Amino acid sequence: MKRVTLSTMVFLTLVFLAVTASSHMKYKPKGRIQGFTKHFEKSLFEITERGYYSVEMVIKGEVLKQGKNEIDLIIHDNKDRDVTGAEITIQPWMPEMGHGIDIEPQVEEKGGGLYHVSNLVLTMGGHWQLKILVSKNGLTDTAVFDFPEVSGMSMHRHVKRPEKIDTSRTQVSEKGLYRVSYKPEIEPIRINTLHAWQVTVKDREGKPVTGARITVYGDMPEHGHGMPTEPQMVEELPGGKYIIDGMKFQMPGWWVVKLHIHSPRGMDTVTFQLDIK
Amino acid sequence: MRRFFAFIISTLFLIVSINTAYALDDLHRWSEREKQILKSLWLGSLPPPPKDPSNRYDGNPAAIRLGRKFFFENRFSGNRKVSCATCHPENMNFADNLPRGHGMGFTNRRTMPLIGVAYSPWLFWDGRKDSTWAQALGPIESPVEHGFTRTQVAVVIKRFYKDEYERVFGSLPDFDETGLPLHAKPSPDDPKALKLWVTLPEKTKQAVNEIYVNVGKAIGAFVRTIMPTKAPFDRYVEAILKGDIEGASKILTPMQVKGLRLFIGKAKCINCHNGPMFTDYEFHNTRVPQLEGLPPDDGRASAIVKVLTDEFNCLSRYSDAKPWQCRTLRFMSTDVFRYKGAFKTPTLRNVAERAPYMHAGQFSTLHEVLHFYRDMPADKRPPDLEHGDLTDQELLYLEEFLKALSAPPVYYTDEKK
Repeated sequence: MKRVTLSTMVFLTLVFLAVTASSHMKYKPKGRIQGFTKHFEKSLFEITERGYYSVEMVIKGEVLKQGKNEIDLIIHDNKDRDVTGAEITIQPWMPEMGHGIDIEPQVEEKGGGLYHVSNLVLTMGGHWQLKILVSKNGLTDTAVFDFPEVSGMSMHRHVKRPEKIDTSRTQVSEKGLYRVSYKPEIEPIRINTLHAWQVTVKDREGKPVTGARITVYGDMPEHGHGMPTEPQMVEELPGGKYIIDGMKFQMPGWWVVKLHIHSPRGMDTVTFQLDIK
Repeated sequence: MRRFFAFIISTLFLIVSINTAYALDDLHRWSEREKQILKSLWLGSLPPPPKDPSNRYDGNPAAIRLGRKFFFENRFSGNRKVSCATCHPENMNFADNLPRGHGMGFTNRRTMPLIGVAYSPWLFWDGRKDSTWAQALGPIESPVEHGFTRTQVAVVIKRFYKDEYERVFGSLPDFDETGLPLHAKPSPDDPKALKLWVTLPEKTKQAVNEIYVNVGKAIGAFVRTIMPTKAPFDRYVEAILKGDIEGASKILTPMQVKGLRLFIGKAKCINCHNGPMFTDYEFHNTRVPQLEGLPPDDGRASAIVKVLTDEFNCLSRYSDAKPWQCRTLRFMSTDVFRYKGAFKTPTLRNVAERAPYMHAGQFSTLHEVLHFYRDMPADKRPPDLEHGDLTDQELLYLEEFLKALSAPPVYYTDEKK
């Protein structure tokens, strides 16, 4: 009789241990951040902008990549309680490119504050941000996770500077529609100095292209960041000349400036490389 | 025999001196590219400060003189004890030594240095102001700094500065002092004062604002005269560019030269601390942890809207600039996500004289700052903050080098020199 009781107790203890261990396996606290619990070691963690929620992100495969991704989100409120029944919206965004994606990620609530996100498609490598909107009982708040270098299909984490860069100030656009050259307001271009470019756009035959709209993107591929300004086309001059103002480079090194040109002749992109001293 | 010894000794001496000369040469040998970088950091490469088009009194000697007086004026404060110089003391290169600014109360950020402020397109750690005069007007109405209001400033000017004011700005706008509520200001931090302000007659508001703006423009004109002078680093670069290695070796210590080599090379400090002011004037999230007990601070991200809606910005009715001159504001990046938690790169000129460091005085020594940057885990570090694998010894070299950037500023004073 005594023996039976003992073995039963041992058995029960084991069962108890197993149950507690398994239930804690998933939610083993890994530390607290500003009063919020972070469960996993290799997770990303943000507190929403107004401080209503904490969002912990576990990425399947640890890093985001070009293509389909799956992530888990654990949401707590500002009393560190699990948030259930919340409406979660995920907005992927490329800040440098100024666009997001049309494919909507799917969110499935798993209970206990856990939400599984599937079909999170990132269309290309580069700088992405995931804006997570959490909404419950009228309390909406946002957390933004920044991914400066989502690796593309064939891209390294940072783009290495090529051996030789072509700093020629006249280039032909990708589809060959335009022959474009630029002349900066200051010579040489200095870092940290806001200045304008005069851009001349000609067509294949060398005739000036008028009535074009030009948008500008500057990028430092080794660092994955752009210019500190938002340059704009401010004026069109006669002879296919355009003034782009607001150019500024805040770091010495290899810069890539892309001009997207829209005109009745079509849309095309020209790329200039600069070595800013 | 004696001759033999003399020969041996002189040979040894020769070998030793050749060796040291060689080492000296090696230490101070810079490639053409490196010399170019050294020159770009040299104070001699600093152009004259750009004019402030929003402030017609910029460079006006009478306004600067009056601005200097205002800078030290304790009457512009709720307890008559706080002036601009409280946090920007003249005898400390215009930057105090406290983790956070301390006026009537404590601010949430470290006082910024004023040296070379005329070159900064953005003011404050988050750049929520775009001119020195607009900046100067912020602390006056902050309850934890001067704890004052613009209506009170107008009254102080009328009572104590009428003649001086009129000599610089023309006749003092007329307002009825007796009916003026002293605690009126258009600030969201004080609803009572805000209500008193919005219920004032339009004419009174305009008169008070005109006086307030002119006070700011005088202070702004004065602080723009605070300029850096040549530090040992600058004299070293001059010697190197002249090819005077012997002279150069007397200016910086070998440790400082090694630190300089790291600074412009392996440690990549010039990613952000570049140009003769050792700053790119940009905003970066350096992942520095917020001080415990302070609310989260998202830095530049929140300031983007603040500077665009600022009643005293370059495009405002109080600015003297033509709209096209406000290029900094017109072409500013509005990317809130990019600038979350980002703060302005401060100048490194006089940095060794200016502990504690970072935007809330998080670190009390340069040693801590350098270790923080080095020890940041690679997966948490944006590419801009990659500093190479630095050894403790190399951090020491960098720290020594930073001490070579100290030199007292020059600025407008009343004393004849």
